[in-house]
Amino acid sequence: MSIEISVLRGRIENAAEAVGPLWPLRTFNSANPLSGFESLPFHEAVQRAGHLFRGRGYPAPDVFRRAWERGDIDPEILQRQLRDAGHDLDPAAALDALPRHDSSPAEAEDERLNRIMSKWLAAFFDHGQAAWPMPNRSDGFFASWRILAPFDRGIPGIRQTSDLPSTKLDAFIETLDGVPEEEWETIFTHHLAALPGWVGLIRWQGRGTAGEWEKAKPITLGGYLAVRLTVARLLGEPLLPKDAPANGEANPDTQTLPAVVLAAWEETYRHRLIDDLTEPPSRPSVDGTDTRPDAQLVFCIDVRSEILRRHLEGLGPYETHGYAGFFGIPMEHESYAPGAGVGERVKACPPIVDPRHRIAERVAPGCEHEAEAYNDWAGIEGTRRTLLKTLKKDVAAAFGFVEGSGGFYGIAMALRTLLPHRVFDGLKSLREHLPGPSSFTEVTVDRPDTPDPDDALPLGLSPEVKIVYAEAAFRLMGWTDEFAPIVVFTGHGSQTPNNPFKSSLDCGACAGNPGGPNARVLAAICNEPAVRDALRSRGIHIPEDTVFLAGQHNTTTDEVTLFVDDEDPPVDPGALERLRDDLAAARNGATAERVSSMDDRMWADATRETERRAADWSETRPEWGLAGNAAFIVGPRRLTRNLDLRGRSFLHSYDWRVDDSGTALETILTGPLVVGEWINMQYYFSTVDNAVYGSGSKVTHNVSGKVGVVQGNGGDLMTGLPLQSLYMDDEVPFHDPLRLFAVLHAPVERVEMILNRQDTLKRLFDHGWVALAIMDPEENDRVMRYQPGGSWAPMSVDEQPAAAVLPDA
Amino acid sequence: MTDQPQDTETTGKKHRLHSLKKIEIIVRGEKEKFVQDLLEECGATGYTIHRDIAGRGSHGFHEGRLLFNDRAGLVMFFTVGDEEMIDCVMDGLTPLFEKSSGVMFVSETQVVRLEKFLEEDE
Repeated sequence: MSIEISVLRGRIENAAEAVGPLWPLRTFNSANPLSGFESLPFHEAVQRAGHLFRGRGYPAPDVFRRAWERGDIDPEILQRQLRDAGHDLDPAAALDALPRHDSSPAEAEDERLNRIMSKWLAAFFDHGQAAWPMPNRSDGFFASWRILAPFDRGIPGIRQTSDLPSTKLDAFIETLDGVPEEEWETIFTHHLAALPGWVGLIRWQGRGTAGEWEKAKPITLGGYLAVRLTVARLLGEPLLPKDAPANGEANPDTQTLPAVVLAAWEETYRHRLIDDLTEPPSRPSVDGTDTRPDAQLVFCIDVRSEILRRHLEGLGPYETHGYAGFFGIPMEHESYAPGAGVGERVKACPPIVDPRHRIAERVAPGCEHEAEAYNDWAGIEGTRRTLLKTLKKDVAAAFGFVEGSGGFYGIAMALRTLLPHRVFDGLKSLREHLPGPSSFTEVTVDRPDTPDPDDALPLGLSPEVKIVYAEAAFRLMGWTDEFAPIVVFTGHGSQTPNNPFKSSLDCGACAGNPGGPNARVLAAICNEPAVRDALRSRGIHIPEDTVFLAGQHNTTTDEVTLFVDDEDPPVDPGALERLRDDLAAARNGATAERVSSMDDRMWADATRETERRAADWSETRPEWGLAGNAAFIVGPRRLTRNLDLRGRSFLHSYDWRVDDSGTALETILTGPLVVGEWINMQYYFSTVDNAVYGSGSKVTHNVSGKVGVVQGNGGDLMTGLPLQSLYMDDEVPFHDPLRLFAVLHAPVERVEMILNRQDTLKRLFDHGWVALAIMDPEENDRVMRYQPGGSWAPMSVDEQPAAAVLPDA
Repeated sequence: MTDQPQDTETTGKKHRLHSLKKIEIIVRGEKEKFVQDLLEECGATGYTIHRDIAGRGSHGFHEGRLLFNDRAGLVMFFTVGDEEMIDCVMDGLTPLFEKSSGVMFVSETQVVRLEKFLEEDE
């Protein structure tokens, strides 16, 4: 049998559509686990993916019931939805009739094959965890496996390497012998979807952005399949097991009971949100007066920002804005490295944006002394770590080391477990005595004269590009006048020890890294006189006395750190002091609100409790992350100011009056909104089936090869969020699994124009992955709801009490 | 078959033109890597990529360059080669287009420097 390799390639590519990419832990990115199905309508995608991954697509009946008992599902809305969908049931009967889902599907027929593949993939992908890594990995997965496979007792029938096909193509020729081409895709889909974690990681690497990884450990889907199909043949297993769900035909029905109850829950939330947004504003005078605010702070659109913003605005003449947390800088961040070393380079922009610049931290002029102190400490610390690693891993030294150091480690462990507050205080005091690199470095925003190294992106930004990024920031936020004396760009990051999922709590717009470095870049650009002159000629007038600062919001403790040289502050020290005091007060308000949602005990000092969570190595829930997210509001802050959105809304600032061409709105919808949808879908699916689409309980997690997390001692990589990030306990979710609701403050014609030229975006709305409403400022903020297909219907209860949510059957 | 030289008189200079085939491919940005790998595997000696192109297709209009999304764009490839190479590329794209949106056009073309478009061992 002969096989055209290009045909094979095309079939594998098609089959791989079913499995979305999975980022390694270091840069864990939120992604819709059903991203390969996004071209389908939501309900059909849920059904097809349900067959393939054996996962549940809708919340469990108990989850619906609790929402109903809390009053989160409006009986009238549910009744209307049931009637429209042709169900002759009243709401209570509908909730009783919800089908139960078998939460523990039978073990797959080819589980033995899965276990063998997981073992080899874990060895191949190891990223520095194994003391003795798999050899020959640079030759590729198939070639390096082929050499070692004869030693695997689990695979029968191989005595030596030559018993195995010599190339990947030969492996396919042997295994697909006699199988018609039309069946290949079904077979491949089954074998790829059998291990969505490891295969997702291969897909991530196959995007061509993995850099060094790719060179050190080249692996393709073809290599994976060649090994897997060969092992299946040797085990005597059929190419397509009888229980293979890839064959399952979907019969998409948008009117099933779970779909209808979900829609009713979503509509209840959405109507209440719209009611809040359209109620006659009891908005305070701050908006109406012309007083210049003392400070303006720009936060990430992240739902967690809303809580702190609300508390801060209530404390004084402050304004806040929302912008994507990478601050529009498509960069790779190179952290400070003591001495002549090269710092770690990490991507610091959203998963759908490629970095174009490298921004490094360098010692700022006049800060050499602090840098030296830090370098000395870092040198000692580095030696200590190397020594400990050697002592622990050296065969001869290990026993003596354990004997000698056990007592010390025991005390340290007891301290970390019993007195996490003290650990937090200790770390804080260390930071005060020995400030980290952000206190003595500056970011390289200028292009240097020296040439860039071959292996790196160009360092710094050209003068033209600086103007583009600064203008983009203000245009997208619709912010062209009124600048306070202090403007702070505030990135965000989390603080959590012993947590492989730290990246999932950091900034999603910065590839799962803290956003402070990006904030520093935009602030540095905006302080340059040449940039301000250029902005002025483009209609953005920044007064002489406005100073841009950068900061970082610690989302675990709600502390905001301002990156300011306190010995020589660039702004009035009194004003800076007031801002810091108010940020501290806002922090107390925000932590009180957040802690009460994490724990039903009464905390006298909620801030202190967040500090414990930030330092406690046994804490499985340092914070809620983006749990609760359900809406994405694009518009000026005055629409939402004074509303308690309960940390559930992404907030992107936008002013339709300064965006005649619609370019700013188009950028927001095709960029930040798409990332918001990925996050929302990850939270949705991780909640509705935590074992399949999430990652199960943290208690039984093990990190595999520093790349991912497995449950227990092996198996597939878990792809989504852990149970403790979403659930109050094993049964009760904290996150309400609702699809995202986008609300745009913009004229209907403008939104239509954008949808008509962005077919991928339009499809998200047409296929029900995201719902859309606009508040049309040209029609007195009348709320219109987008109907799949392209029409609009009023949402207001007065205008149309039974606003059709599902199209008539 | 690829080498049927024709003599052409232009600006008084004599060129020999050689017949080859040209393939133009338009796919979504997320398939760029797939097409690159396919072209290389089929022995294309080079290719040209236009990124962020705009146009109308069966799914509606697609606008080009976006500031904060490098994945949603459309990319266009074109390359020239002998029939065997073009067939190989078509074999890989035909299954792809059963599932993903995209188009390919194959046409006759002529080149002056044949050696630029064929692999050395041919």
